[in-house]
Amino acid sequence: MNGLKRVVITGSGIYSALGSTPGELFDSLAANKSAVVRGGRDENFLPTAPAPRDPERFRALPRTLRRAMAPSACFTAMAGLSAMQDCGLTQDELTALHAGCAVGSTMGSVSTLREGYALVLSGQSDRLSPMHFFKSASHTTAFNLARTLGLNGAIYSPCSACASGLQSMGLGAALISAGQETVIFCGGADETGSEVSGSFALMYAHAPAEGDPTESPRPFSANRKGLVCGEGAAVFCLEEYGHAVRRGAKIYGEIIGYSSNSGGNGLSQSDAPAIARCMADTCASAGIDPSDIDYISAHATSTLQGDAAEAAAIREIFGANIPVSSLKGHLGHTLGASGPLEMAAVFEMARHGVLIPTRNLAEIDPACSGIDHVTGLREKRLDIFFKNSFAFGGINASLICKLNV
Amino acid sequence: MNLTRDEIIEAVNSALVKEMEIDPADLAPEKTFFDDLGLDSLDMVDLMIGLQRKFGISLRENEEIKQVRTLGDVYDFFEKNQAMLTAQAEAAKAAAKAAAEPENKQ
Repeated sequence: MNGLKRVVITGSGIYSALGSTPGELFDSLAANKSAVVRGGRDENFLPTAPAPRDPERFRALPRTLRRAMAPSACFTAMAGLSAMQDCGLTQDELTALHAGCAVGSTMGSVSTLREGYALVLSGQSDRLSPMHFFKSASHTTAFNLARTLGLNGAIYSPCSACASGLQSMGLGAALISAGQETVIFCGGADETGSEVSGSFALMYAHAPAEGDPTESPRPFSANRKGLVCGEGAAVFCLEEYGHAVRRGAKIYGEIIGYSSNSGGNGLSQSDAPAIARCMADTCASAGIDPSDIDYISAHATSTLQGDAAEAAAIREIFGANIPVSSLKGHLGHTLGASGPLEMAAVFEMARHGVLIPTRNLAEIDPACSGIDHVTGLREKRLDIFFKNSFAFGGINASLICKLNV
Repeated sequence: MNLTRDEIIEAVNSALVKEMEIDPADLAPEKTFFDDLGLDSLDMVDLMIGLQRKFGISLRENEEIKQVRTLGDVYDFFEKNQAMLTAQAEAAKAAAKAAAEPENKQ
């Protein structure tokens, strides 16, 4: 990072379709489990990867908090509580530090928006609850996390679709690096629905409804047919290095590089040169050479154009010797949660010394070749990893984390 | 809406138990919403929306309901006003139906 302060990660919490803890998630990934089902959150039977929306689990959140939370905020709150417990800071300590948060999602809560429009369009506006706005606002994940953890610092909510989570991480890191924050909880969350998967389907970017749902998505694969939408949340506690060391905090790793850019003219298509520039800038911001990277956690969602663009950029910047895999074959594309959620899995890969392969990658698309695809569990010691997230609007975000601090 | 007082009490109490997750043992006519039952103004709006739906009436323009402070006040309000509220709801339905019908063209 280019600022004055070093930034470390001292707490991790997730809520996902394949586990409620990073350990559970890793075990599911290592066992090659798929979260994808037929239908699920899509009424037209497109495959989706739903996270549990169990009211009984969410009752761990007091009603006074829960009443303003749609599933996306519930996911975030559960992940945030885990991250707070993991980092070891109490609510009183966080209050004294004026700790804040940066959490984003694609569009707040699709389920709540739909409920609201159904009432308004049927002439029943008087049945709208005052909670409707709080549940569906674009920053619902952020302010609900702050309420849940009692955070009285700044609240940010980068809403940049599939880059929301990683941009939140980058923002938090920049704020600590610049000396403006000491502790900030960062992450992303999303819920999915027919509107989301349907939108991708209209663009011919979605996996088909037919066939075995667990055979989709197929990142980088020769016969990939599109992505699968998923949902969940991940929250990390980002902390200024000195503060973390003085209190004896457990340190997952240090965020040493981050960059974000755009293609400048894109709407839905990935721009390989812009992605390459983003990745190169991220390495430069970390002060490292691309060859120093031990593993790349790809964005690759299984779209024809997106995977090829990312592979081309990786080829250009990193060559063929850095192992690459995408976790979207297991988890689906968790949208705003994807960056941080997949990072949580990478920390577990590092802990176990094992890389998780790209699921459903039986035959590599020639357009995605020329990079080191991880196609089976691979033993590998990690020190520095690279994470990509890309979003509609041509948004690219990349982050580098060093594990041995 | 044509309910006995007991039916009104049952409907209001079940809304509080189900929507506000209040222990039934804590419900008594003298309990205040804010201090005793721990609700706030947003909860009260949600409660009233739920009761509107349950009773098939509208409370939007009603000033008296905004003055309730205890559970007993709410029971009394609905018992006293149900005829008026029902008449208002039926008038509103008729007006909406008339507005939706196309004009007769001669």
